[in-house]
Amino acid sequence: MLRPGDGPMVIFEGVTKRYDPNVLGLDDVSLSIESGEFVFLVGPSGSGKSTFIRLLIKEFDPTEGAITVGGRNLGRLRRSKVPYLRRAIGCVFQDFKLLAGRTVYDNVAYALQVIGENPRNTRRKVPEILALVGLADKGDRYPNELSGGEQQRVSIARAFVNHPRLLIADEPTGNLDPETSIGIMQLLYRINRTGTTVIMATHDREMVDKMQMRVVGLENGRVVRDQRQGRYARVDY
Amino acid sequence: MRPRFFLAEAIRSIRANVAVSIAATVTVLIAVFILGAFIPSFLYVQSSVDSQKERVDIRAYVSDSAKVAQVNQLQDELIVLQQQGLVKEFTYINKDQALQELRERLKDPSITDYLSTNPIPANFRIKPTQAERADEIVQRLSPQAAIDEGLGVKYGEETTDKLLTVARFIQWAGLALITILLVASILLIGNTIRLSIFARRREVEVMKLVGATNWFIRWPFVIEGVICGLVGAVLSVALLWAVKVGVVDQWIEDTDSALTRDEATTIGFPVLGLMLIAAGALVGAIGSGITLRRFLKV
Repeated sequence: MLRPGDGPMVIFEGVTKRYDPNVLGLDDVSLSIESGEFVFLVGPSGSGKSTFIRLLIKEFDPTEGAITVGGRNLGRLRRSKVPYLRRAIGCVFQDFKLLAGRTVYDNVAYALQVIGENPRNTRRKVPEILALVGLADKGDRYPNELSGGEQQRVSIARAFVNHPRLLIADEPTGNLDPETSIGIMQLLYRINRTGTTVIMATHDREMVDKMQMRVVGLENGRVVRDQRQGRYARVDY
Repeated sequence: MRPRFFLAEAIRSIRANVAVSIAATVTVLIAVFILGAFIPSFLYVQSSVDSQKERVDIRAYVSDSAKVAQVNQLQDELIVLQQQGLVKEFTYINKDQALQELRERLKDPSITDYLSTNPIPANFRIKPTQAERADEIVQRLSPQAAIDEGLGVKYGEETTDKLLTVARFIQWAGLALITILLVASILLIGNTIRLSIFARRREVEVMKLVGATNWFIRWPFVIEGVICGLVGAVLSVALLWAVKVGVVDQWIEDTDSALTRDEATTIGFPVLGLMLIAAGALVGAIGSGITLRRFLKV
């Protein structure tokens, strides 16, 4: 689905999203994210971080402007093709979004079953990825038997099991204590090091300051700054 | 696609939602049972009304003083009516046969032995193609010279008219009832399915976010619907069978006098059973397939 190549992974061109005449999600946002980058989206609640992410997986379309993901113009992507877009993008959410009635193993396996992976490969890949996120021995547990950090690891395992070239995380550490958050961050960093583009919305100040990655600051739907090795708060040198 | 995977998913989902699955199955069971009891009863009543209508016959009484030529003329008119499609068939019954007919209806036939002459007129027994148009035939035949002035052309007008009114009523009332029952069952089943899917809308949302296509999500639900529909319908048919053998057949045996044969028929049980089971499966499949649509728009 995402075209290979060295061009930008994500391009926003004059993107505006208006929910209601009075409610603005994003306001004329233009930016570009290169393949392999790690980008923090920061800003207070309601600044447009979630809108940005939901636009990326085409939960809805922008009111104005164009979005390109992996060389695909999302405006030209038909509704029926949206599932294929989402398979090419790994998603991690604040509330984990795991299937409560399925074991850890089955939750991860579902992402492979969806793309029509054969059972043998599924049986090989799921334990591999569970080992990678440090849950090798928790495959037969149910989500509600795990801690928040462990559930988020499952959700990362599910997002990454297909080895997508783009991984989106919407406040992945929002519900976790600082120590657990570090573990999750390290995991995302390792995934980024494999060449995967990672976009992470967060308001975890400490984390952003520590990582020294690109920071895009949003306020009231507008990009107020974009720094290569940024900090959470604007710093004027 | 992968039928085995989808079947496994459906069974997993039934297991995970036992209470809702049972509710859906029982709903189908009740709806199918009501329909299964009502449809054959309606068809039976309909058929017995039809066979009563079949029995309507018109008698054209021939005057004892009628000349042969006049009788022939009457017969010609009947042939014309037959060609026009009003009359299905007719038979001439002479005086002796007419008397014999009467004797057969009497409890003690020997009383006719006391008659010095045969008082029963010869007549034509006429079967109309449609009971509703018997009146027309009477009007066409009455002016004929051969017709006995006193007796004329007759059919059980009052009985026939009453019968026809009742028949029409049963037809409309029956159709209306079946329609209402059908709509009610579909709504009831649809509602139960909606409830079960509503309980799992979060699950559907997550599936969509992982990149499942609509049909990938839908198939297990449809199969689940078919399973619940099938199980409900099969149980219902089994129950109907038990009621038929245990109650209805027994009752028919008790009330049937050995002399008459019930001409009215109804739908055969195997056909009815298969129809109901197919309907149960179909309603389950369509019900869950359609209801899911609303939740797939993520």
